[in-house]
Amino acid sequence: MKGLAPLFLGIFGTFAFSWVGLTVIPNWQIGSLNPQSDEEGTEIYPRPQSGMFERGGHVYAANGCVYCHSQQVRADYIAADIERGWGNRRSAPRDYIFERPVFLGKMRMGQDLANIGARAPAPEESPAPAGAAASPAPAQAASPSSGTPPATAPAALPGTSPASAGSPNASPPPGQRTGVASPSPGQMANTTPGGSSPAAPSAQTPSAPWPIQTAGLPPMYSAAWHHVHLYAPRSINPDSNMPAYRFLYEKRRIAGERSAEALQLSGSDAPPQGWEVVPTYDAKCVVAYLMGLNQSHPLKEVRTVGGAPAPAASPATAVQGTSPSPAPAGAPAAPKK
Amino acid sequence: MNNTGIPLKDPAVSAAAGDTEQLERAYIDASTRVPVLMFYTSAIAWLIVGTVLAMVVSFKLHSPDLLSGISFLTWGRLRPAHMNVMVYGWASMAGMGTAVWLMARLCRATLRFPLLLAAGAVFWNVGVLIGVGAILLGDSTGFQWLEFPRYVAVILFVAYTLMASWAVLMFRYRRGDQIYITQWYLLGAFLWFPWLYAAGQLMLFVVPVQGVLQSAVTWWYANNLLFLWFGAIALGTAYYMIPKVIGRPVYSYHLATIGFWTYALFSSWTGMTRLVDGPFPAWMITASIAATILTMIPVATVGLNHHLTMQGYFPLLRYSPTLRFTVFGAMSYTVFSVLGVLISFRSVASYVDFTQVSIAYSHLGLFAFFTMTIFGSMYYIVPRLVGREWRYGSLIKLHFWASAYGIGLMTLMLLAGGFLQGANLENPALPFSESIETVLPYLRGRSLAGILLTVSHFIFAYHFGLMLLGLGRTSTVPTFLNPVEAETSGGH
Repeated sequence: MKGLAPLFLGIFGTFAFSWVGLTVIPNWQIGSLNPQSDEEGTEIYPRPQSGMFERGGHVYAANGCVYCHSQQVRADYIAADIERGWGNRRSAPRDYIFERPVFLGKMRMGQDLANIGARAPAPEESPAPAGAAASPAPAQAASPSSGTPPATAPAALPGTSPASAGSPNASPPPGQRTGVASPSPGQMANTTPGGSSPAAPSAQTPSAPWPIQTAGLPPMYSAAWHHVHLYAPRSINPDSNMPAYRFLYEKRRIAGERSAEALQLSGSDAPPQGWEVVPTYDAKCVVAYLMGLNQSHPLKEVRTVGGAPAPAASPATAVQGTSPSPAPAGAPAAPKK
Repeated sequence: MNNTGIPLKDPAVSAAAGDTEQLERAYIDASTRVPVLMFYTSAIAWLIVGTVLAMVVSFKLHSPDLLSGISFLTWGRLRPAHMNVMVYGWASMAGMGTAVWLMARLCRATLRFPLLLAAGAVFWNVGVLIGVGAILLGDSTGFQWLEFPRYVAVILFVAYTLMASWAVLMFRYRRGDQIYITQWYLLGAFLWFPWLYAAGQLMLFVVPVQGVLQSAVTWWYANNLLFLWFGAIALGTAYYMIPKVIGRPVYSYHLATIGFWTYALFSSWTGMTRLVDGPFPAWMITASIAATILTMIPVATVGLNHHLTMQGYFPLLRYSPTLRFTVFGAMSYTVFSVLGVLISFRSVASYVDFTQVSIAYSHLGLFAFFTMTIFGSMYYIVPRLVGREWRYGSLIKLHFWASAYGIGLMTLMLLAGGFLQGANLENPALPFSESIETVLPYLRGRSLAGILLTVSHFIFAYHFGLMLLGLGRTSTVPTFLNPVEAETSGGH
């Protein structure tokens, strides 16, 4: 080949072609999406997140959570993500418009986290925090000291179900969550094996999905549970290969009375008598971040698949898949009661 | 020029043959000595650091309590540290060393002001050092392949400008009209890298794009770095080394032209295959899959060209270290690309998207293809810079086999483990933990492969250290892998 000009132009041209094609044009297409709102403009999704959520995202980045956890739910006709209970619809670009950085992830050495916040048990205060998904406050309130008499739950009944912690009546009728902006209660992927029905057949427990609600621990996916899980993953699931993030916690001598934030640890992970383990601010932020990850709000551009399996309608199937029929398919579930 | 104290191979030997070209080459080599050796030395130092990190990362993945509890030793920080040390410390530095040397040789121009180039290398090292420190201290940006914080990006960019403008300038002062294939690839690489890096930084940090586009930009950057930076350098190197060692011109220039342009055109579009089934408009992913399939054209033409060049000369692989490493790298390019096509198909991707297969793919590209080719070029270039031949043929042989078996075992383990992991992930009847349980034994196997690679890298670093200290053999005959019984055609 002779001459520098054609070579240079070719090198530049191929680069520019790819740059325009794969980044600039997509930026025109989906680079300035707005939140979706209904006619009255009351239900807006997604909403900007709290400062704690944002900081939590940086903690998430700093500690490389993204190298094991994805945050994207694939469509039901492509993969088993929805059957696994990781979401009730595929993720769409609009879900991420306020996230920075975005952690779509490339690896699942751990579970998908796109909807981890949606799996949290219902906060005890019934008035759901409107859209303030990240708001860690109610979740914190659900921490061991204030609610959930943990040890009393018999082992065979792991589902110290979210709602049952409060008064049974506060248990939100599942149908109501249709189109509710807040990431409130029950939630589609309620992996709590026993479900909220105390009469849940205990036969299900042996094959319960991972992670398992362990007796004596805070309700699964509550803020308190996340703290225990981050501090001592193998106290929740002995087979977990998640590293412990103890450096996000502080072990200190109990001054006066035990802090309400102190982790509810047992066995060898528990601090010695007179000591307690409390989350640092970073730990609180990363948990606020996790609690804020929630793509359960329906979007017009994607079909919601699983509906919201009503807590009563054996939510376990959504996860265990022992019966392949993906729960009550179709529209957001009608109340069964 | 001989201001480093490193003995220069005596040009008189060749001059006696009445060959002024030899003399000229010796001077060009001498002019590149300081910067290229500096690139190589720092690259190999980073290689050792990255290898140690890799071992810890690999063991921690199946023994999560190992060294946990300390923030900067947590798995999620060591892993990006390893990745960035390998990509920006080892691979980029080594690649630049080889590229600068090749550029000088092929432009038949002595390198002017080599110390400025060396200053660029210093800056680059400082940048990588700060970047890795930042990752370990928890200042990662969270974008894969671009974890270095912004201030590091600035340092790297300045360092790069210092270095690359030199290579491009050299191109301006070249003698002779003919531009050899290697020069296309190298010029491409030297220009593509800063554009890519700038575009990535711009769209992620300066004028950040919205939402999922950040991921699209990240993987567009990552794949292009793999292909247009590392891949281009490795292919250019192979186009130089193979014909040079066997002493025979490239089989077809025509094929080479087709290979180069299709490579530039198609491989730059493959980024979205890392995000098949992700929340993106389908056309983006489809375009990337199509481009990935089309990369079979450069693979076929480049592979065919190398094969036909080598035809009849394959026995030389028994002797020449350079040739053996380079041919291994060139063949790995084919394997890497074919795997890339297979795992980009939607039906396959839905199984392997989130598994160890993607780790296997990256290592095939960065190690089996790029690193092995660069090892080959180092075996060729270093003796010409220090004026000594490699001391032990046996060490080179060990280096080769440990690397080859190491990366082979690693790829097999990650592929097999990854496919099983994916199959279990896609079976909702199995609990999630089952997919992890399945892959753990393979990860232990990968750690074993990692030990082999560690051994190989330490051997190489030791051997290189000997060369650097002037402890190589003084001989006019290059070091062969096996004793040469009969006359061998061509050099080494």
